[in-house]
Amino acid sequence: MKGPSMGNEFEPKILYILCSWCGTGGAETASAHGLHYPENVRIYRVNCTGSLPAVHVLRALIEGADGVAVSGCHPGDCHYESGNYHARRRIANLKKILGTLGLGEDRLWFRFVAHGEGRRFVDTAAEFSDHIAALGPNPLTTRKDT
Amino acid sequence: MTEALKITKTPDEAIRALLAFLLESGKASAVLSLDRIGQDGAPIYSLITEAKGLESAAPLLPMMPSNAGKLLAEMTELAPSPEPIAAVLKPCELRALVELKKLNQANLENLLLISTTCGGVFPLAIRNNGGISEKLAPYREALAKGEVADGIRPTCRACEHFVPYNADLTVALVGGQANDGTCTVLINSSRGAEALEGFEGERTQAKLESDAIEALRAKRAEEATKLFTASDTAAPGLDGLINIFGRCLACRGCSNVCPICYCELCYFDSVVEDPTPSKYEAQLRHRKATRVPPGTIAFHLGRMTHMVISCVGCGMCADVCPVGIPVATLFSMVGKSADKVFAYVPGKNLDEDLPLKKYEVDELSHLGEERIES
Amino acid sequence: MNGATVAAPEGVREAITDLLKRGLSEKLWDAALVPARVPAGDSFAWLLVRDGSVLDETLPLPPVMAVQGARAIYRLARRGVTGKVAAVLRPCEVRATIELAKLKQVDLDGLVLISVDCPGALPLKAYLDDPQKGDADFEKLCSGDDSAAREVCKVCHLFSRPVSDLHFATFGMDSGKSCVVAGSDQGRLLLEKLGMAKAGSLDKWERAVAERQEQKKQARTKAQATLSQDVAGADKLLETLSHCINCHVCRSVCPICYCRQCYFESQAILMPPENILERARRKGGMRLPTDTLLFHLGRMSHMSLSCVSCGACEDACPSAIPVAQLFSMVGDATQSQFDYEAGRSVTEPLPTVTYKEDELAGLVAPYTETYDAREASP
Repeated sequence: MKGPSMGNEFEPKILYILCSWCGTGGAETASAHGLHYPENVRIYRVNCTGSLPAVHVLRALIEGADGVAVSGCHPGDCHYESGNYHARRRIANLKKILGTLGLGEDRLWFRFVAHGEGRRFVDTAAEFSDHIAALGPNPLTTRKDT
Repeated sequence: MTEALKITKTPDEAIRALLAFLLESGKASAVLSLDRIGQDGAPIYSLITEAKGLESAAPLLPMMPSNAGKLLAEMTELAPSPEPIAAVLKPCELRALVELKKLNQANLENLLLISTTCGGVFPLAIRNNGGISEKLAPYREALAKGEVADGIRPTCRACEHFVPYNADLTVALVGGQANDGTCTVLINSSRGAEALEGFEGERTQAKLESDAIEALRAKRAEEATKLFTASDTAAPGLDGLINIFGRCLACRGCSNVCPICYCELCYFDSVVEDPTPSKYEAQLRHRKATRVPPGTIAFHLGRMTHMVISCVGCGMCADVCPVGIPVATLFSMVGKSADKVFAYVPGKNLDEDLPLKKYEVDELSHLGEERIES
Repeated sequence: MNGATVAAPEGVREAITDLLKRGLSEKLWDAALVPARVPAGDSFAWLLVRDGSVLDETLPLPPVMAVQGARAIYRLARRGVTGKVAAVLRPCEVRATIELAKLKQVDLDGLVLISVDCPGALPLKAYLDDPQKGDADFEKLCSGDDSAAREVCKVCHLFSRPVSDLHFATFGMDSGKSCVVAGSDQGRLLLEKLGMAKAGSLDKWERAVAERQEQKKQARTKAQATLSQDVAGADKLLETLSHCINCHVCRSVCPICYCRQCYFESQAILMPPENILERARRKGGMRLPTDTLLFHLGRMSHMSLSCVSCGACEDACPSAIPVAQLFSMVGDATQSQFDYEAGRSVTEPLPTVTYKEDELAGLVAPYTETYDAREASP
């Protein structure tokens, strides 16, 4: 696993939002299997991805996150039946807003992760972190005029 | 005579240098100042935390995009500032902050309050009308002579409280000394004195009440008389109010930017004031038609009863109004009259309670005296 | 095409007013909601009228859109209406009303929505400065010269035939004639009750509308492409918003923004000074009031799917920010992602309340089993 950053490599601040059911479950399964995800990825737990307000994601992207990833239960598995479907639409809507305004729509990811998918969870965290590292720092987070 | 510091820089440079000094010496963790943002140099208040950030700052620019007193109150509403913050405010913004403190909406701890003798601000509309750079020289000349500057907000023309109350430091901008390449800062408190310790300048004694200030005060009083007796706002009566507020959109812009209107949910937007079918029915029973949304004038009169006693005449309301209603002139005029009843000046005395929070047993004898002799 | 011919010698406004009067006297509706010039003569306000004689002082389709009609309807009908109210609206006002109905803020049952072909509206501030010139400019607008119209009106392709009960067709019609077209069962019933003569061919109108729609669609695409160049990217967007003073007037005049207390004016956004200092330190400074960009993006995330491009926001902005153009561009993009058009249909559900089990497959990068950028050892 990637350790503390060495040299001038940009280490992105990643916020990984997980639902309390499959999302967190995936993280716990990963832990049980001794899998690690990068240290620059911070977990933020919500009850259900469907309960995640878009404004919270925006707040994160404006105030310090270089990238925000969201993971919840696969279609059909949502503990609240349809929360993940609404989340998918909400994230798609938010990405479209960011994309239309050129604010980096691919700094926001949405991927389903099941309770038992520990591998998928850590891979997503790592993949997203690398993806954001390649994109560079989020220009919004260091501006005084937001 | 007051202790003062005379700095051999123009006021703009002097105050920017002072703010840099406060940040670099750690005497302030942050400064609140007018800033110029982006390519267009948009005047916007900023909380600046490093001296480098002062490059774009324009602390003495005669513009008011927000009432800075309101900004400080919003910042300290939940708790006092844990660290020292220096703020450069205009006298009315400072008065608004003091009123907000009395209304329990602001905490003044740890704030270094820097104000100036004020020549007024230009209306926000000037941003779309060529900007203010060409207006600055004539503005400063007028101030130096103690004259009312051209083109400023109407309520600024009529403002008689342009010498700040409750400032720790006062920058003298009115009078000849303001335009001679030096800057005189009056030290009004121990906090102010402490802030200036170690900052380069000539220790001196100074007096604010100069000829220029006397002259300006007299001219402002004349302007006030003119403004408040102008045809379209003086004693309007119902017909006059209908004319003035006819184009009101009920957008609440005025109350949103008003420093005194602090309620998160305005009474007039609450459930209590919701128009129901029966209310419309009641209206239509004795009118052939009724306006929708209803209660246009009621909102403005109601807002007056809630806040006009604390109105500081900053003029934000009129500037924000999408339809150019002279809200500030009207509210300022009514506020002045209401304050006279209680001999109150909003924001002047920190220790003086708000008029509606207290009473004397023997007062206002002209009210309540009518009795029906049985 | 279900329509009736109306003679309109003085123009469609008189035809509309006559219809409203007839409806009142024949008890087809109990009141009419229609704009009227304010006593000072410099603007317009909505009147709820019960007495037919007052209708002579009203002015349907005014030169400006001072208070958005759907906002007036919301204030009127939020808690229901007694009897029926006939409202005369611009198409964007109808569309916003439909959205509000779907958002459960307005009950359409008590309403008869009457619309008219819209030539556009003039910028509010310019009209207030010189109402006489404004009236003359509006005449020009009505005869097809939209140079003085608001920017959003110049590129509006939804100027005709919204989902109203009755719609007054004027474009392409011979002068002195107008047609009322029914757009709903209620509308058809009303035309029957009014016993109005059946309309002849509406071909000319339909052709004129189609042609204008095509023109406007092209203009819209072009305008949004130009706008995108001017505002896309952090630098340009924040430059565009640099003069914003957070007055929130754009939100309060918006017909879709119905929240009694906006999230961005609530405790949720209020932070202690420690928070503000920390954020300011990290960025080297912070503009105040805080959260300017968050307010605009957040508002988009809340309402862009129902944005009808009415332009009320831009009319009201004291800082001359092209907020309606910005929100229209984002509204178009977010709505088309879901094949949705705000106010197009009463029965079409809002994209936020529905979903398909299989959709938006391209939302995230495909997952390759075991991403191998690194060793999996701790």
